[in-house]
Amino acid sequence: MKHPLTRRDFLAGTTVAVLGASLGFGQEKPATKKARVVLIRHRDVLDENQKINPDILQGMLDEGVMKLLGESDPVKAFQKLVKPGETVGIKTNVWSYLPTPPELEAALKRRVIDAGVAPDRIGLDDHTVMTNPLFVKATSLINVAPLRTHYLAGVCGCIKNYIMFAESQPAYHPDSCADLGSLFKLPQVQGKTRLNVLCVLTPQFHGRGPHNFNRRYVWSYKGLIVGLDPVAVDAIGLRLIMAKRREVLGKAQELPPVPKHIQLADTRHGIGTSDMNAIELIKLGWGEDILV
Amino acid sequence: MDIGAKIPVKADGLTASGKDRTFNRQTLYDYLDGGAEVYLAFDFREVFTRKYTGPGGREMTLDIYDMGSPGEAFGAFSCDRQDPSAGIGQESEYGPGLLRFWQGRYFVTVTASADDEAAAAAVLGLGKDVVKQLGPPGPKPALVSCLPAESLRPERTSFFHSVVNLNNRFFVAGENLLRLDRSTDCVIGEYGAGGAEPVTLLVVRYPDASGALAARRSFLASYLPDAGPDGFARTENRKWVSAGVRAEYLTIVFDAPSADAARKLGASVNFPAK
Repeated sequence: MKHPLTRRDFLAGTTVAVLGASLGFGQEKPATKKARVVLIRHRDVLDENQKINPDILQGMLDEGVMKLLGESDPVKAFQKLVKPGETVGIKTNVWSYLPTPPELEAALKRRVIDAGVAPDRIGLDDHTVMTNPLFVKATSLINVAPLRTHYLAGVCGCIKNYIMFAESQPAYHPDSCADLGSLFKLPQVQGKTRLNVLCVLTPQFHGRGPHNFNRRYVWSYKGLIVGLDPVAVDAIGLRLIMAKRREVLGKAQELPPVPKHIQLADTRHGIGTSDMNAIELIKLGWGEDILV
Repeated sequence: MDIGAKIPVKADGLTASGKDRTFNRQTLYDYLDGGAEVYLAFDFREVFTRKYTGPGGREMTLDIYDMGSPGEAFGAFSCDRQDPSAGIGQESEYGPGLLRFWQGRYFVTVTASADDEAAAAAVLGLGKDVVKQLGPPGPKPALVSCLPAESLRPERTSFFHSVVNLNNRFFVAGENLLRLDRSTDCVIGEYGAGGAEPVTLLVVRYPDASGALAARRSFLASYLPDAGPDGFARTENRKWVSAGVRAEYLTIVFDAPSADAARKLGASVNFPAK
Protein backbone atom coordinates (compact mmCIF):
# COMPACT_ATOMS: atom_id res chain seq x y z
CA MET A 1 0.00 0.00 0.00
CA LYS A 2 1.31 3.44 -0.88
CA HIS A 3 1.55 6.10 1.76
CA PRO A 4 3.42 9.37 1.86
CA LEU A 5 6.79 9.46 3.53
CA THR A 6 6.30 10.79 7.03
CA ARG A 7 8.29 11.52 10.13
CA ARG A 8 7.12 8.18 11.50
CA ASP A 9 9.13 6.35 8.86
CA PHE A 10 12.26 7.91 10.33
CA LEU A 11 11.20 6.96 13.82
CA ALA A 12 10.61 3.40 12.71
CA GLY A 13 13.85 3.25 10.79
CA THR A 14 11.87 2.35 7.70
CA THR A 15 12.77 5.39 5.68
CA VAL A 16 14.67 3.33 3.19
CA ALA A 17 11.80 0.92 2.79
CA VAL A 18 9.29 3.68 2.36
CA LEU A 19 11.54 5.41 -0.08
CA GLY A 20 10.97 2.41 -2.28
CA ALA A 21 14.01 0.36 -1.32
CA SER A 22 15.69 3.66 -1.01
CA LEU A 23 13.88 6.29 -2.97
CA GLY A 24 10.69 5.07 -4.45
CA PHE A 25 8.40 6.79 -1.96
CA GLY A 26 6.19 3.75 -2.02
CA GLN A 27 6.78 2.61 -5.55
CA GLU A 28 6.06 -1.01 -6.22
CA LYS A 29 7.61 -2.30 -9.39
CA PRO A 30 9.88 -5.20 -10.22
CA ALA A 31 13.53 -4.52 -10.83
CA THR A 32 14.55 -4.96 -14.44
CA LYS A 33 18.00 -4.32 -15.91
CA LYS A 34 20.18 -2.64 -13.35
CA ALA A 35 21.47 0.87 -13.87
CA ARG A 36 25.18 0.96 -13.20
CA VAL A 37 26.53 3.82 -11.11
CA VAL A 38 30.17 4.21 -10.21
CA LEU A 39 31.34 6.03 -7.10
CA ILE A 40 35.04 6.75 -7.19
CA ARG A 41 37.05 8.51 -4.48
CA HIS A 42 40.69 9.45 -3.99
CA ARG A 43 42.22 10.59 -0.72
CA ASP A 44 44.62 13.02 -2.39
CA VAL A 45 42.39 14.69 -4.96
CA LEU A 46 42.02 17.61 -2.56
CA ASP A 47 44.67 19.13 -0.36
CA GLU A 48 44.01 20.51 3.11
CA ASN A 49 42.70 23.74 1.53
CA GLN A 50 40.40 21.80 -0.78
CA LYS A 51 42.57 22.67 -3.76
CA ILE A 52 42.06 20.13 -6.52
CA ASN A 53 44.86 18.03 -7.96
CA PRO A 54 43.81 18.04 -11.64
CA ASP A 55 45.83 14.97 -12.59
CA ILE A 56 44.27 12.85 -9.87
CA LEU A 57 40.84 14.18 -10.80
CA GLN A 58 41.39 13.27 -14.45
CA GLY A 59 42.41 9.80 -13.36
CA MET A 60 39.28 9.46 -11.22
CA LEU A 61 37.04 10.51 -14.09
CA ASP A 62 38.79 8.14 -16.46
CA GLU A 63 38.63 5.20 -14.11
CA GLY A 64 35.01 5.86 -13.27
CA VAL A 65 33.88 6.10 -16.88
CA MET A 66 35.95 3.08 -17.90
CA LYS A 67 34.32 0.99 -15.17
CA LEU A 68 30.91 2.35 -16.08
CA LEU A 69 31.29 1.27 -19.69
CA GLY A 70 33.45 -1.80 -19.27
CA GLU A 71 36.42 -0.36 -21.12
CA SER A 72 40.10 -0.45 -20.24
CA ASP A 73 41.04 2.75 -22.02
CA PRO A 74 39.54 6.15 -21.21
CA VAL A 75 39.50 7.37 -24.79
CA LYS A 76 37.74 4.23 -25.97
CA ALA A 77 35.29 4.66 -23.13
CA PHE A 78 34.48 8.22 -24.19
CA GLN A 79 34.24 7.08 -27.81
CA LYS A 80 31.30 5.00 -26.68
CA LEU A 81 29.63 8.20 -25.55
CA VAL A 82 30.40 10.73 -28.29
CA LYS A 83 31.51 10.46 -31.91
CA PRO A 84 33.65 12.57 -34.23
CA GLY A 85 31.51 15.07 -36.08
CA GLU A 86 29.13 15.58 -33.21
CA THR A 87 28.38 18.81 -31.41
CA VAL A 88 28.60 18.24 -27.66
CA GLY A 89 27.25 20.43 -24.88
CA ILE A 90 28.76 20.03 -21.42
CA LYS A 91 26.05 21.31 -19.10
CA THR A 92 27.92 22.58 -16.11
CA ASN A 93 26.81 24.47 -13.02
CA VAL A 94 28.14 27.90 -12.09
CA TRP A 95 26.41 28.47 -8.74
CA SER A 96 28.89 30.88 -7.23
CA TYR A 97 29.16 29.23 -3.83
CA LEU A 98 29.74 25.69 -5.08
CA PRO A 99 30.23 25.50 -8.83
CA THR A 100 31.30 22.54 -10.91
CA PRO A 101 35.10 22.79 -10.55
CA PRO A 102 36.88 24.07 -13.67
CA GLU A 103 39.29 21.15 -13.31
CA LEU A 104 36.39 18.73 -13.77
CA GLU A 105 35.05 20.67 -16.73
CA ALA A 106 38.52 20.55 -18.26
CA ALA A 107 38.87 16.83 -17.65
CA LEU A 108 35.58 16.13 -19.40
CA LYS A 109 36.35 18.43 -22.30
CA ARG A 110 39.75 16.83 -22.76
CA ARG A 111 38.25 13.37 -23.10
CA VAL A 112 35.52 14.58 -25.46
CA ILE A 113 38.26 16.02 -27.66
CA ASP A 114 40.27 12.80 -27.34
CA ALA A 115 37.19 10.93 -28.51
CA GLY A 116 37.36 12.87 -31.76
CA VAL A 117 35.01 15.80 -31.28
CA ALA A 118 36.37 19.08 -32.67
CA PRO A 119 37.18 21.59 -29.90
CA ASP A 120 35.10 24.27 -31.60
CA ARG A 121 32.09 21.99 -31.46
CA ILE A 122 32.15 21.54 -27.70
CA GLY A 123 30.02 23.88 -25.63
CA LEU A 124 30.46 24.48 -21.92
CA ASP A 125 27.64 26.47 -20.41
CA ASP A 126 25.06 26.81 -17.69
CA HIS A 127 22.77 29.85 -17.70
CA THR A 128 22.67 30.43 -21.45
CA VAL A 129 22.27 26.91 -22.74
CA MET A 130 18.97 27.75 -24.39
CA THR A 131 20.56 30.30 -26.70
CA ASN A 132 24.13 29.01 -26.92
CA PRO A 133 24.47 27.79 -30.54
CA LEU A 134 26.60 24.85 -29.44
CA PHE A 135 23.80 23.68 -27.15
CA VAL A 136 21.06 24.50 -29.64
CA LYS A 137 22.86 22.31 -32.20
CA ALA A 138 24.15 19.75 -29.72
CA THR A 139 23.67 16.14 -30.66
CA SER A 140 25.04 14.95 -27.32
CA LEU A 141 25.01 16.37 -23.82
CA ILE A 142 27.22 15.67 -20.85
CA ASN A 143 25.64 16.60 -17.54
CA VAL A 144 27.97 17.61 -14.71
CA ALA A 145 26.87 19.18 -11.45
CA PRO A 146 27.97 19.44 -7.83
CA LEU A 147 25.83 17.75 -5.19
CA ARG A 148 24.18 20.00 -2.65
CA THR A 149 21.01 20.43 -0.67
CA HIS A 150 18.29 22.76 -1.84
CA TYR A 151 15.51 24.42 0.14
CA LEU A 152 12.77 23.34 -2.23
CA ALA A 153 13.97 20.36 -4.21
CA GLY A 154 15.80 18.76 -1.30
CA VAL A 155 18.90 18.19 -3.36
CA CYS A 156 20.48 19.68 -6.45
CA GLY A 157 22.11 17.09 -8.61
CA CYS A 158 22.09 15.94 -12.19
CA ILE A 159 18.31 16.11 -12.62
CA LYS A 160 17.93 19.65 -11.34
CA ASN A 161 21.01 20.73 -13.28
CA TYR A 162 18.87 20.82 -16.44
CA ILE A 163 16.60 23.56 -15.06
CA MET A 164 18.38 26.02 -17.33
CA PHE A 165 16.79 24.33 -20.34
CA ALA A 166 13.37 25.41 -19.07
CA GLU A 167 11.47 28.37 -20.48
CA SER A 168 10.24 29.16 -16.96
CA GLN A 169 12.19 27.97 -13.96
CA PRO A 170 9.48 28.84 -11.40
CA ALA A 171 7.10 26.61 -13.34
CA TYR A 172 9.09 23.68 -11.98
CA HIS A 173 8.93 24.81 -8.34
CA PRO A 174 5.49 23.59 -7.21
CA ASP A 175 5.26 20.63 -4.86
CA SER A 176 8.94 20.56 -3.96
CA CYS A 177 10.02 20.72 -7.62
CA ALA A 178 8.22 17.42 -8.17
CA ASP A 179 8.43 17.44 -11.96
CA LEU A 180 12.07 18.26 -12.61
CA GLY A 181 12.35 14.92 -14.38
CA SER A 182 10.26 16.29 -17.23
CA LEU A 183 13.19 18.55 -18.13
CA PHE A 184 14.76 15.54 -19.78
CA LYS A 185 11.85 15.42 -22.22
CA LEU A 186 12.33 18.94 -23.50
CA PRO A 187 13.14 19.00 -27.23
CA GLN A 188 16.60 20.46 -26.67
CA VAL A 189 17.43 17.67 -24.27
CA GLN A 190 15.46 14.51 -24.97
CA GLY A 191 17.59 11.52 -25.81
CA LYS A 192 20.85 13.45 -25.88
CA THR A 193 22.38 12.91 -22.44
CA ARG A 194 25.35 10.55 -22.75
CA LEU A 195 26.92 10.85 -19.31
CA ASN A 196 25.99 12.20 -15.88
CA VAL A 197 28.71 13.22 -13.46
CA LEU A 198 27.81 14.21 -9.94
CA CYS A 199 30.69 16.04 -8.33
CA VAL A 200 31.00 14.95 -4.72
CA LEU A 201 34.45 16.34 -4.07
CA THR A 202 32.96 18.77 -1.54
CA PRO A 203 29.22 18.11 -1.27
CA GLN A 204 26.97 20.35 0.78
CA PHE A 205 24.73 18.40 3.14
CA HIS A 206 22.70 21.20 4.70
CA GLY A 207 21.80 24.73 3.80
CA ARG A 208 21.08 27.89 5.71
CA GLY A 209 20.54 31.47 4.79
CA PRO A 210 18.92 32.91 1.70
CA HIS A 211 21.53 31.47 -0.60
CA ASN A 212 21.39 28.10 1.11
CA PHE A 213 25.14 27.93 1.54
CA ASN A 214 27.45 27.89 4.50
CA ARG A 215 30.93 26.42 4.65
CA ARG A 216 30.08 24.59 7.86
CA TYR A 217 27.94 22.20 5.87
CA VAL A 218 30.45 21.29 3.17
CA TRP A 219 32.87 18.43 3.62
CA SER A 220 35.75 16.90 1.71
CA TYR A 221 34.28 13.66 0.45
CA LYS A 222 36.69 13.56 -2.50
CA GLY A 223 34.52 11.65 -4.91
CA LEU A 224 32.72 11.53 -8.24
CA ILE A 225 29.51 9.65 -9.01
CA VAL A 226 29.12 8.75 -12.67
CA GLY A 227 26.39 6.99 -14.58
CA LEU A 228 24.33 6.91 -17.72
CA ASP A 229 21.10 7.26 -15.76
CA PRO A 230 20.67 10.69 -14.13
CA VAL A 231 18.02 9.39 -11.73
CA ALA A 232 20.19 6.54 -10.48
CA VAL A 233 23.12 8.93 -10.08
CA ASP A 234 21.02 11.36 -8.06
CA ALA A 235 19.56 8.50 -6.03
CA ILE A 236 23.04 7.59 -4.87
CA GLY A 237 23.80 11.25 -4.25
CA LEU A 238 20.74 11.55 -2.06
CA ARG A 239 21.75 8.50 -0.08
CA LEU A 240 25.09 10.16 0.55
CA ILE A 241 23.48 13.40 1.67
CA MET A 242 21.09 11.51 3.95
CA ALA A 243 23.93 9.54 5.51
CA LYS A 244 25.92 12.68 6.21
CA ARG A 245 22.90 14.47 7.63
CA ARG A 246 22.15 11.52 9.89
CA GLU A 247 25.76 11.58 11.11
CA VAL A 248 25.94 15.33 11.76
CA LEU A 249 22.39 16.59 12.24
CA GLY A 250 20.76 13.48 13.66
CA LYS A 251 18.20 11.00 12.48
CA ALA A 252 15.33 13.47 12.62
CA GLN A 253 16.97 15.62 9.97
CA GLU A 254 18.16 12.77 7.80
CA LEU A 255 16.05 13.77 4.83
CA PRO A 256 16.46 17.17 3.25
CA PRO A 257 12.89 18.23 2.60
CA VAL A 258 11.67 16.85 0.32
CA PRO A 259 13.54 15.30 -2.65
CA LYS A 260 10.51 13.70 -4.26
CA HIS A 261 11.60 14.79 -7.73
CA ILE A 262 14.12 11.94 -7.88
CA GLN A 263 11.52 9.25 -7.42
CA LEU A 264 9.03 11.03 -9.68
CA ALA A 265 11.65 11.32 -12.41
CA ASP A 266 11.39 7.55 -12.39
CA THR A 267 7.75 6.74 -11.69
CA ARG A 268 6.07 9.71 -13.33
CA HIS A 269 8.47 10.70 -16.08
CA GLY A 270 10.28 7.45 -16.79
CA ILE A 271 13.70 8.93 -17.41
CA GLY A 272 15.61 6.54 -15.16
CA THR A 273 15.45 4.44 -12.04
CA SER A 274 15.34 5.51 -8.41
CA ASP A 275 14.88 1.99 -7.09
CA MET A 276 17.99 0.87 -5.25
CA ASN A 277 17.16 -2.73 -6.14
CA ALA A 278 17.62 -1.73 -9.76
CA ILE A 279 20.87 0.18 -9.28
CA GLU A 280 24.26 -1.50 -9.39
CA LEU A 281 26.55 0.69 -7.31
CA ILE A 282 30.25 0.07 -7.90
CA LYS A 283 32.63 1.67 -5.43
CA LEU A 284 36.22 2.38 -6.42
CA GLY A 285 39.16 3.89 -4.61
CA TRP A 286 39.36 5.42 -1.14
CA GLY A 287 36.88 3.80 1.19
CA GLU A 288 37.23 5.71 4.43
CA ASP A 289 33.99 7.32 5.65
CA ILE A 290 32.33 6.33 2.41
CA LEU A 291 28.85 6.54 3.98
CA VAL A 292 27.02 4.73 1.16
CA MET B 1 13.52 50.45 -0.42
CA ASP B 2 15.46 53.68 0.00
CA ILE B 3 17.96 52.30 2.43
CA GLY B 4 21.12 51.93 0.37
CA ALA B 5 22.23 55.50 0.98
CA LYS B 6 22.09 54.98 4.73
CA ILE B 7 24.17 51.82 4.83
CA PRO B 8 27.97 52.18 5.06
CA VAL B 9 29.89 51.39 1.89
CA LYS B 10 32.91 50.26 3.89
CA ALA B 11 32.99 47.52 6.50
CA ASP B 12 36.21 46.37 8.16
CA GLY B 13 38.38 46.60 5.08
CA LEU B 14 35.64 45.52 2.68
CA THR B 15 34.08 47.94 0.21
CA ALA B 16 30.72 47.89 -1.54
CA SER B 17 31.18 46.63 -5.09
CA GLY B 18 28.88 46.51 -8.05
CA LYS B 19 25.43 48.01 -8.09
CA ASP B 20 23.01 47.67 -5.23
CA ARG B 21 20.07 45.57 -6.33
CA THR B 22 16.45 45.22 -5.26
CA PHE B 23 14.14 42.29 -5.97
CA ASN B 24 10.40 42.10 -5.39
CA ARG B 25 7.90 39.22 -5.31
CA GLN B 26 8.00 38.92 -9.08
CA THR B 27 11.78 39.00 -9.43
CA LEU B 28 12.99 37.24 -6.30
CA TYR B 29 13.54 34.04 -8.28
CA ASP B 30 16.18 35.88 -10.27
CA TYR B 31 18.11 36.29 -7.05
CA LEU B 32 17.39 33.20 -4.99
CA ASP B 33 15.96 30.58 -7.35
CA GLY B 34 14.48 27.87 -5.12
CA GLY B 35 15.24 29.75 -1.92
CA ALA B 36 12.73 32.34 -3.02
CA GLU B 37 9.84 30.09 -2.04
CA VAL B 38 10.86 30.28 1.58
CA TYR B 39 10.32 34.05 1.57
CA LEU B 40 7.39 34.13 -0.84
CA ALA B 41 5.55 31.91 1.61
CA PHE B 42 5.53 34.99 3.86
CA ASP B 43 4.26 38.48 3.06
CA PHE B 44 7.64 39.34 1.54
CA ARG B 45 7.70 42.70 -0.28
CA GLU B 46 11.26 43.25 -1.49
CA VAL B 47 14.91 42.67 -0.70
CA PHE B 48 17.78 45.12 -0.91
CA THR B 49 21.12 43.45 -1.54
CA ARG B 50 24.67 44.73 -1.65
CA LYS B 51 27.97 42.92 -2.11
CA TYR B 52 31.19 43.91 -0.39
CA THR B 53 34.60 42.79 -1.55
CA GLY B 54 38.08 43.09 -0.16
CA PRO B 55 41.68 41.91 -0.43
CA GLY B 56 42.32 38.25 -1.15
CA GLY B 57 38.93 37.68 -2.73
CA ARG B 58 37.05 38.21 0.50
CA GLU B 59 33.34 38.75 -0.05
CA MET B 60 30.37 39.66 2.08
CA THR B 61 26.72 39.93 1.07
CA LEU B 62 24.09 42.03 2.83
CA ASP B 63 20.41 41.18 2.29
CA ILE B 64 17.68 43.31 3.88
CA TYR B 65 14.23 41.75 3.44
CA ASP B 66 11.16 43.92 3.84
CA MET B 67 8.71 41.33 5.08
CA GLY B 68 5.72 43.63 5.25
CA SER B 69 5.22 43.48 9.02
CA PRO B 70 7.17 42.66 12.17
CA GLY B 71 5.31 39.39 12.54
CA GLU B 72 6.40 38.21 9.12
CA ALA B 73 9.97 39.37 9.75
CA PHE B 74 10.02 37.34 12.95
CA GLY B 75 8.66 34.40 10.97
CA ALA B 76 11.41 34.53 8.37
CA PHE B 77 14.00 34.74 11.11
CA SER B 78 12.48 32.11 13.34
CA CYS B 79 12.30 29.20 10.91
CA ASP B 80 16.00 28.55 10.75
CA ARG B 81 17.71 29.26 14.07
CA GLN B 82 20.57 27.28 15.49
CA ASP B 83 23.42 29.62 16.40
CA PRO B 84 24.04 31.78 19.50
CA SER B 85 22.64 35.29 19.73
CA ALA B 86 24.75 38.13 18.39
CA GLY B 87 22.84 40.77 20.34
CA ILE B 88 21.81 42.63 17.19
CA GLY B 89 18.24 43.73 16.49
CA GLN B 90 15.24 42.22 18.21
CA GLU B 91 16.65 38.72 17.93
CA SER B 92 19.73 37.47 16.16
CA GLU B 93 22.11 34.62 15.70
CA TYR B 94 25.67 34.39 14.48
CA GLY B 95 27.63 31.37 13.38
CA PRO B 96 30.74 31.25 11.20
CA GLY B 97 29.98 33.06 7.97
CA LEU B 98 26.35 33.91 8.69
CA LEU B 99 24.57 36.63 10.72
CA ARG B 100 20.76 36.66 10.83
CA PHE B 101 18.53 39.09 12.70
CA TRP B 102 15.17 40.84 12.58
CA GLN B 103 14.16 44.35 13.50
CA GLY B 104 10.70 45.79 12.94
CA ARG B 105 9.44 44.66 9.54
CA TYR B 106 12.92 43.73 8.33
CA PHE B 107 14.72 40.43 8.29
CA VAL B 108 18.45 40.74 7.59
CA THR B 109 21.24 38.35 6.69
CA VAL B 110 24.93 39.04 6.26
CA THR B 111 26.95 36.21 4.75
CA ALA B 112 30.72 36.07 4.37
CA SER B 113 32.84 33.91 2.12
CA ALA B 114 35.34 33.40 4.93
CA ASP B 115 34.69 32.31 8.49
CA ASP B 116 37.73 33.69 10.31
CA GLU B 117 37.95 36.47 12.91
CA ALA B 118 38.27 39.22 10.32
CA ALA B 119 35.14 38.02 8.57
CA ALA B 120 33.28 37.85 11.86
CA ALA B 121 34.29 41.43 12.70
CA ALA B 122 33.14 42.66 9.30
CA VAL B 123 29.85 40.77 9.42
CA LEU B 124 28.95 41.80 12.95
CA GLY B 125 30.10 45.38 12.40
CA LEU B 126 27.94 45.74 9.33
CA GLY B 127 24.99 44.21 11.15
CA LYS B 128 25.29 46.74 13.95
CA ASP B 129 25.40 49.60 11.43
CA VAL B 130 22.42 48.30 9.49
CA VAL B 131 20.12 47.76 12.44
CA LYS B 132 20.32 51.47 13.29
CA GLN B 133 18.60 52.25 9.99
CA LEU B 134 15.69 49.86 10.33
CA GLY B 135 13.42 51.82 12.65
CA PRO B 136 11.78 50.77 15.88
CA PRO B 137 11.11 47.23 17.00
CA GLY B 138 7.76 45.59 16.36
CA PRO B 139 5.66 42.86 17.91
CA LYS B 140 5.86 39.15 17.23
CA PRO B 141 2.72 37.52 15.83
CA ALA B 142 0.01 37.23 18.45
CA LEU B 143 -0.26 33.51 17.76
CA VAL B 144 3.20 32.98 19.26
CA SER B 145 1.82 33.83 22.68
CA CYS B 146 -0.56 30.89 22.52
CA LEU B 147 2.34 28.57 23.28
CA PRO B 148 2.36 27.60 26.97
CA ALA B 149 5.36 29.20 28.63
CA GLU B 150 6.32 26.40 31.01
CA SER B 151 9.41 24.52 29.75
CA LEU B 152 9.24 26.28 26.37
CA ARG B 153 12.57 26.72 24.59
CA PRO B 154 12.02 30.28 23.31
CA GLU B 155 14.90 30.15 20.85
CA ARG B 156 13.24 27.22 19.11
CA THR B 157 9.88 28.91 18.53
CA SER B 158 8.99 29.44 14.88
CA PHE B 159 6.16 31.16 13.03
CA PHE B 160 5.28 30.47 9.40
CA HIS B 161 2.45 29.75 6.99
CA SER B 162 3.33 27.06 4.48
CA VAL B 163 4.47 23.47 4.24
CA VAL B 164 7.86 24.41 2.79
CA ASN B 165 8.68 26.20 6.04
CA LEU B 166 7.22 23.44 8.19
CA ASN B 167 9.26 20.76 6.52
CA ASN B 168 12.46 22.76 6.70
CA ARG B 169 11.81 23.34 10.39
CA PHE B 170 10.23 20.05 11.44
CA PHE B 171 9.69 17.39 8.84
CA VAL B 172 6.20 15.92 9.11
CA ALA B 173 5.46 14.40 5.71
CA GLY B 174 6.40 14.51 2.07
CA GLU B 175 2.87 15.63 1.25
CA ASN B 176 0.98 18.66 2.53
CA LEU B 177 -1.12 16.65 5.01
CA LEU B 178 -2.03 19.71 7.06
CA ARG B 179 -3.23 21.68 4.02
CA LEU B 180 -1.05 24.66 4.79
CA ASP B 181 -0.88 27.69 2.55
CA ARG B 182 -0.52 31.46 2.86
CA SER B 183 -3.92 31.65 4.55
CA THR B 184 -2.80 29.53 7.49
CA ASP B 185 -0.76 30.74 10.45
CA CYS B 186 1.46 28.23 12.22
CA VAL B 187 3.51 28.37 15.37
CA ILE B 188 5.75 25.59 16.54
CA GLY B 189 7.47 25.31 19.90
CA GLU B 190 9.74 22.85 21.64
CA TYR B 191 9.45 21.85 25.26
CA GLY B 192 11.77 20.25 27.76
CA ALA B 193 15.22 20.68 29.17
CA GLY B 194 18.07 21.30 26.77
CA GLY B 195 19.79 18.16 25.57
CA ALA B 196 16.74 15.98 26.01
CA GLU B 197 14.51 14.98 23.12
CA PRO B 198 12.00 17.81 22.99
CA VAL B 199 8.25 17.58 22.94
CA THR B 200 7.03 19.58 19.95
CA LEU B 201 3.81 21.54 19.86
CA LEU B 202 2.36 22.76 16.56
CA VAL B 203 -0.63 25.10 16.47
CA VAL B 204 -2.21 25.99 13.14
CA ARG B 205 -4.88 28.62 12.65
CA TYR B 206 -7.08 28.06 9.60
CA PRO B 207 -9.41 30.63 8.05
CA ASP B 208 -12.33 28.75 9.57
CA ALA B 209 -13.21 25.74 11.70
CA SER B 210 -14.02 23.54 8.72
CA GLY B 211 -10.45 24.00 7.49
CA ALA B 212 -9.08 22.86 10.84
CA LEU B 213 -11.35 19.81 10.91
CA ALA B 214 -10.44 18.81 7.36
CA ALA B 215 -6.75 19.13 8.14
CA ARG B 216 -7.11 16.99 11.26
CA ARG B 217 -8.89 14.30 9.24
CA SER B 218 -6.13 14.39 6.63
CA PHE B 219 -3.42 14.21 9.28
CA LEU B 220 -5.03 11.33 11.15
CA ALA B 221 -5.65 9.36 7.98
CA SER B 222 -2.09 9.57 6.68
CA TYR B 223 0.09 10.17 9.72
CA LEU B 224 -1.84 8.70 12.62
CA PRO B 225 -4.16 6.00 11.24
CA ASP B 226 -3.73 4.05 14.47
CA ALA B 227 -5.24 6.85 16.55
CA GLY B 228 -8.59 6.43 18.21
CA PRO B 229 -11.42 8.93 17.98
CA ASP B 230 -9.61 11.09 20.53
CA GLY B 231 -6.70 11.57 18.09
CA PHE B 232 -4.00 9.98 20.27
CA ALA B 233 -1.51 7.31 19.26
CA ARG B 234 1.82 5.96 20.42
CA THR B 235 4.39 6.13 17.64
CA GLU B 236 7.46 4.12 16.76
CA ASN B 237 9.73 5.98 19.17
CA ARG B 238 7.42 5.03 22.04
CA LYS B 239 6.31 8.63 22.32
CA TRP B 240 2.80 9.98 21.92
CA VAL B 241 1.25 12.13 19.25
CA SER B 242 -2.10 13.86 19.57
CA ALA B 243 -4.18 15.97 17.22
CA GLY B 244 -7.10 18.09 18.39
CA VAL B 245 -9.25 20.88 17.03
CA ARG B 246 -10.77 23.84 18.77
CA ALA B 247 -12.69 26.21 16.53
CA GLU B 248 -10.32 27.20 13.71
CA TYR B 249 -7.24 25.91 15.55
CA LEU B 250 -5.56 22.56 15.02
CA THR B 251 -3.19 21.52 17.78
CA ILE B 252 -0.72 18.69 17.33
CA VAL B 253 1.65 17.43 19.99
CA PHE B 254 4.59 15.33 18.80
CA ASP B 255 6.82 13.11 20.89
CA ALA B 256 5.18 13.49 24.29
CA PRO B 257 6.43 10.96 26.88
CA SER B 258 2.87 9.86 27.69
CA ALA B 259 -0.67 10.28 26.48
CA ASP B 260 -1.35 12.31 29.57
CA ALA B 261 1.58 14.63 28.85
CA ALA B 262 0.32 15.12 25.31
CA ARG B 263 -3.16 15.83 26.58
CA LYS B 264 -1.86 18.27 29.18
CA LEU B 265 0.31 20.22 26.75
CA GLY B 266 -2.46 20.38 24.15
CA ALA B 267 -4.88 21.63 26.77
CA SER B 268 -2.45 24.33 27.88
CA VAL B 269 -2.55 26.22 24.61
CA ASN B 270 -3.64 29.81 25.20
CA PHE B 271 -5.97 30.28 22.25
CA PRO B 272 -6.31 33.95 21.37
CA ALA B 273 -9.61 35.52 22.28
CA LYS B 274 -11.88 36.22 19.33
